[in-house]
This record gives sequence, C-alpha cells and structure tokens, in this order.
Amino acid sequence: MADAAVHAHDDHEMGFFTRWFCSTNHKDIGILYIITAAVLGLISVAFTMYMRLELMEPGVQYMTMEDGSPNGHLWNVMITGHGILMMFFVVIPALFGGFGNYFMPLQIGAPDMAFPRMNNLSYWMFFAGSTLAVLSVVSPGGNDQLGSGVGWVLYAPLSVREGGMSMDFAIFAVHLSGASSILGAINMITTFLNMRAPGMTLMKVPLFAWSIFVTAWLILLALPVLAGAITMLLTDRNFGTTFFDPAGGGDPVLYQHILWFFGHPEVYIIVVPGFGIISHIISTFSKKPIFGYTGMVFAMVGIGVLGFVVWAHHMYTVGMSNNAQAYFMLATMVIAVPTGIKIFSWIATMWGGSISFKTPMLWALGFLFLFTLGGVTGIVLSQAGIDRAYHDTYYVVAHFHYVMSLGAVFCIFAGIYYWFGKMTGRQYPEFWGKVHFWTMFIGANITFFPQHFLGRQGMPRRYIDYPEQFALWNEVSSYGAFLSGASFLLFFGIVFWSLRYGKKVTEPNYWNDELGTLEWTLPNPPPAHTFETLPKREDWDKQPAH
Amino acid sequence: MPVPNDLAAGRDVPPLPQPGSWVEWRERQDCPIYQATIWPNRSMGPKLRRNMLCFAAAGFSVPLIPALGTPVFWGLLPFLGLALGCLWFGFRMSDRSGRLHEVLTIWRDEMRVERFEPRGDVLRWAADPFRVRVQLHEDARPENYLTLTGGSREIELGAFLSPWERLELKEEVDAALIKAFRD
Repeated sequence: MADAAVHAHDDHEMGFFTRWFCSTNHKDIGILYIITAAVLGLISVAFTMYMRLELMEPGVQYMTMEDGSPNGHLWNVMITGHGILMMFFVVIPALFGGFGNYFMPLQIGAPDMAFPRMNNLSYWMFFAGSTLAVLSVVSPGGNDQLGSGVGWVLYAPLSVREGGMSMDFAIFAVHLSGASSILGAINMITTFLNMRAPGMTLMKVPLFAWSIFVTAWLILLALPVLAGAITMLLTDRNFGTTFFDPAGGGDPVLYQHILWFFGHPEVYIIVVPGFGIISHIISTFSKKPIFGYTGMVFAMVGIGVLGFVVWAHHMYTVGMSNNAQAYFMLATMVIAVPTGIKIFSWIATMWGGSISFKTPMLWALGFLFLFTLGGVTGIVLSQAGIDRAYHDTYYVVAHFHYVMSLGAVFCIFAGIYYWFGKMTGRQYPEFWGKVHFWTMFIGANITFFPQHFLGRQGMPRRYIDYPEQFALWNEVSSYGAFLSGASFLLFFGIVFWSLRYGKKVTEPNYWNDELGTLEWTLPNPPPAHTFETLPKREDWDKQPAH
Repeated sequence: MPVPNDLAAGRDVPPLPQPGSWVEWRERQDCPIYQATIWPNRSMGPKLRRNMLCFAAAGFSVPLIPALGTPVFWGLLPFLGLALGCLWFGFRMSDRSGRLHEVLTIWRDEMRVERFEPRGDVLRWAADPFRVRVQLHEDARPENYLTLTGGSREIELGAFLSPWERLELKEEVDAALIKAFRD
C-alpha cells in the first residue's frame, strides 16, 4: 500500500549527489541540461573568439606552427569543434532538453515525464557525448596533430580518411547525442500525448508544449537517419566497408543526401522550441492572448513536415538534375508560408496590445527581427541559380548564423530571462538584463551583417586567411564578435549575481500574466513533485481564443 | 460507485481487523455499502496511438524507400526500426503504468483499499470503518491530498487524481461511512 507521504513532500530534502547525479525529476534534469549547455556554449564561443581574432587581419597571425607557418589544421579543428558543439550539444540541449524538460510537463499538468528514469539516462548519455566531443578536439587526429578538422557535417571521404582517434571520438559523440535525443523525444511524445490534464485536448495545449512535441517528432524521424549514416562512416573508417567510397561501389554524394535529410530538419529542431518560447513571451508582455493559436500550431507542424522534403537545397552544386533542383527550390520557398504565418501572428499579437519592454520581450523582439532577416536571406539562397554564386561563401555563414546564432540563441536568452524567477526563486537585475540584450544585439549584428557583404564579394568560408580586399568587413566583423563575447561573459555574471543576490520572487505569477500557463500557478521554484494532484481546469483554460 | 446495502442479517460477519494492520485477506461475497475504482488519467486513446505509430512508420519509410536495393538501406534500417520499436514500447509502457488503480470498498464492519500495481502486484489495507479517519490535507502539496488513517498506519488514496476529483471522492467516502454508521 502506498503510505501517505505528504509530510515528506513538504520537507523534501535530498543530498547534493542524489539530487543532481541520480535525479529523475524533470525540473532538475532540465536545469542540468541548461547548465551543461551553457558550459559547452562557453567553450564553443571561445573557439569563435579565437577564429575571429585570427580573421581580424589578412595573413595568419595566431594559428601558426612553431616555425610561424599557418596551421590550417588547427583552424579546421576550431571550425569542426564549434559546429559540432553548437549543433548537437548547446542549442538543442538548452531549448529541447532544458526548457522542454522543465516546462513542458508543467504546462500540460503532468506530474513528471512519462519515463523519469529514461530521462535521467538521456541526460547522462548527452553528458558522455559532450565529453567525447570536447575530447575529440584535444585527442590525436589528422595531420599528426590534435583534433579532427572535417567540419560538423563529417563529409565523406574526408572524414573517412582523417587520421587518429579524434574523428572516431567525434562520431561516437554524435552517436551518443543522437541516442540521447531519440530517447528524450520518445519521452516527450509519450508525455505530451498521454499525460495531459483531463480536459486538455490537443488544441488547448500551450504553444510551447506544442513546439516541444513537434520538435520531438523531428528528432525521432531525423536522428536515426544520422545514426545510420555515421555508423556507416565508422565502418568505412575502421572495418573496410565502402558505403561512401566509389572505389568499392559506394557514393560520397549519397552521404551528403543522408546527412542533409537529417541536417535540414536539424535546423527546425533547433529553432522550433524557440518559436514556442517567443509565443508565450510576446503574449505575456503584450497582455493579449496569442493571435491565431490554431494557425500557430499548424504552422509549426507544417514547418516540421516541409523540413523533411527540402534537404537537397544544401547541395545544389553536387550535380543534381534541373528537375530535382527546381523541386527543392520550390519546396524550400514554400516554407516561407508557415514561417510567415508565425511572424505575422506574433506581430498581430502585439498589435493593439499594452506592450511592456522588459528584458524577455526585448530578446523576443530581437529574435523576431533577426530571424526574419535570416529567413529572407534563406529565400535568396533557396534559388538554385543564385546559390551557384553564394554556395560556401560568407553569405551562407551570415544566413545560418542569423537564423541560428541570432535566432535560436536569442530564444534561449529570452527563455532564461522569462523563467529565471520561476526556476531559481530569484530575479535578475532588469537594467543588466537590458545591457546584456543591447550589447549582444549590436555585437551579433556587427559580427554577421558584414558577412553578407563578404559573401557577395566572394569570400569563401572555412579558410584561415583571405586577400586584402576582404580586410575591412572582416575587421568590423571581429569587433562585433568581441562585443558579443563580452556580452556572453556579462550574462554569466548576471546569472551568478542573481543567484546570490537577486531579489527573491515570491509571487508565482510575477509577470502578472492573466492568460498564463500552468507553471505560473506554482511557487518559485516549483516543488520537487509538481502536479501529483492534477491541476484544475480553470487553472489553465483561460484563453477564450481556443 | 456506491452499491445498495443488502447486508443480510445473520450472514457470517468476518472478524474485525486490527486498525490499520495487515490482515488475513479473504474474499468477501457480501455486498458492500460502497465501492469505488479509481485510476490515473491517460489522455491518449487507442486511435491516436495507432495514428501516431502509423505516422512514425510513414516518416521512417521516407529515407528508406530511395535506398531500397542498396547497401545503405541495410545501414539505415536497424536504426529506423529500433526507433519505431522504442516509440511503440514507450506508448505501451505509458499505458501500462496507467493500469495502476485502487479499489476502495466499505462494508459496515470493514473498509478495504486494494492497490493494483501495473506489474500485477496487489497491495492491501483494511481497517475498521468506525476507527478510520478520512483526512483531506487542503494546504498540503500536492493540494487536497487525501489520506486514510487506520490506527498507526496512514495511507494515501487517489494520489494520481486531480484535486477536485479527490474532493468528490472524499465526499463520497464520508457519505458512505455515515451510511455505514446509520444503518
């Protein structure tokens, strides 16, 4: 018989080790994801600072061998490390693993995830994978140096022939990350479908929970494909198979197809949870229910579905038929429709609202502007003809950083400021939050906007050096990167200060969000075991719009 | 749900259990005053589950079909199959955990709670209804936490229900106990 444990709930005390190393609590695991992603983000950003320092002036000044000659391998290792860490170990874990774990069950009124122990397993697999990813940078690799320099896409045959164990570490790192994400996705899908509060039909679920559900499906359908592809890479490297080696009947272009079948949905895996966060923030700080809830849900589903049928726009130049290029071009442009629905619905939510420009709202507005800008350059790049000129230039670098570095990362910061009081019980200083936003917004724009110009001038990506003609905008871009880097350090300062000295937040609904979702009915931070009692319908069913 | 009290006079009356203790359990054929079966909410019906699995299978076939007849097909198949299997297994396990249920039965001389765990284990508690205390911890977290105290042992009832469902359950149990005392 289940003995009553009400007093134990009131005095819920656990040791540090038990709480953080053995936790099956979705909120603790969410925080673990966010902290790990932040540390890895710091490492990854340090790589970019080093790269921008090198690119600040023509010639190779910092990444040199002992004899002063350029060390191109080190450059490639930095590129690869930054890409792998950011794509697999920073943005997805923060948004999907962190906020998804913490807030999705709260918003649907579930007591915890459907499989709490599997949730713990997912996190530690991710942790092991991230350790391997960092190790891959400092373990013996190609060119008799440390690390592997093949780019985050691990293209064959380069990745097959890269020497040393570093490449294998990187592949295993992605494997572990993928397995972790797949288990996490199954957990999220099951929780979302089976553990909603009574009466909370699918079209009454908050948008952030929907965004996590859509993302979970993208992960579930895309990551096994990547797992298959990199396993074949591994056997090509170590067991003499020739899946991607023409000498044995294989096809390296096929690797690209498989990689991008995963890789394009990956873009949406990264950004769709951000859509959910932004929807809540804009609604909260406009004091209006979100405009067009149903359209927003179907736009996310539409983006997810379309994301699976456009992959080859990343590889127009591999020699596809004109018909294939025409199809991928058209399909890619169609994604602008659901994306446009979202953008216009966010604007319509603000329209006529009583907007308050608190820090989370600034990040959300920054996201809106920058993601739209990045989306528009995406439409430019979707044209197969234009892509011939821009392929592998800095225009592409600018485009995907606007969508991901400025889009998804702004969502992470927006989410942290929005829910900081809820997660920690303390509030950040509003002034410094705004300073963080403006320095990051200005710095990131100074970094990446000039890269459009460099791309149009024809500067190719992935090179350690460039001719004099590209010097001006590279210098400007580097100054922007340093400002962004300083802003990122300021963020850590704000977090540490707030945790120690931040004003205590006792009001559960501290943004005074009358249309708030269920997490706003809970104390700050929420108790270890949230809704063992399922929430009342009137707690969450406040939006007459849906 | 409550059932009519037709405890017949003269029928064998089982021995009164000690309050809150483990008892020698034996099935009772006599009709109780009140019986309720309670279980946790599961929001996914079989149709939605089937549709989701079909959707996943269709999604997994997209990268597989173009690779038919190539070695890459066999490189991808195990991973996609495993992912589909895991999803199916996850749904199954979640539904299985929803099989947890509690049966509360009240006779004039005995109150029983049987807790049927998803794995088939049955936990049992019995007490004298005249000595049982039904308590609603309104300010507790989780709110409206419902407990039954029989002697030295306190058990939870319907911890997986919503607060307002627990409130209704308490009212029903109180009414049944009053009926037991009155009759």
